[in-house]
Amino acid sequence: MSEAADKTAALLAKLWVKIQPIVEERLAILDRASSAATAGSLSPELRKEAQNNAHKLAGALGMYGFDEGTLVARELERLLDTEAPDPVRFSELVRELRTSVTPQKV
Amino acid sequence: MRRILIIDDEDDIREVAALSLEATAGWEILAAHSGLEGIRAAAEEKPDAILMDVMMPGMDGPTTFRQMQQNPDIARIPVLLLTAKVQGVDQRRFADLGVAGVLFKPFDPMTLAQEISHALGWKD
Repeated sequence: MSEAADKTAALLAKLWVKIQPIVEERLAILDRASSAATAGSLSPELRKEAQNNAHKLAGALGMYGFDEGTLVARELERLLDTEAPDPVRFSELVRELRTSVTPQKV
Repeated sequence: MRRILIIDDEDDIREVAALSLEATAGWEILAAHSGLEGIRAAAEEKPDAILMDVMMPGMDGPTTFRQMQQNPDIARIPVLLLTAKVQGVDQRRFADLGVAGVLFKPFDPMTLAQEISHALGWKD
């Protein structure tokens, strides 16, 4: 890896740590929307907010090397485009998304 | 040295793009967090190119681009739109605006400068 690539990778790793609170906040909104969908009380406003957060995660996660996270977030964004998203699928995808950005313990 | 203006409401996208272009290409990066601020910065700084997000609160990327086209001081600065939309219909809609190109999020920070150079036909 070149010196510039090394430097970029190191800065990205630092930035990933720095944006953890934002990622967590977006995941929490998706959790909240998923719970509301399961309870049958997902409002259009919360669905739109959740879709917007899925969109932002889809656009960001891959930059940090979380390609699977981007794919799952895109699927969530599409799912939330429907008026009554399937709550089971919604819950599965949020769980997959969280797993995809959580460092695996060896 | 190339000077690029990045317009995006998301702090982390601006930061990643900036550090990527500075570290891998040595370009000077200017940043704005809204369409309105971007138009002002473009008029003041006259960058070589603008990299602008599509979805921004307030004035979105396409609207900001149209406003830039009304200003003869900045209308000729090439604009690349940055979008997380992957559907072909969106891509065609953005290309039809007359922008210099459309790049996709998430971008690879290691190759973003190459993608910009390729889209703009820059050889250096």
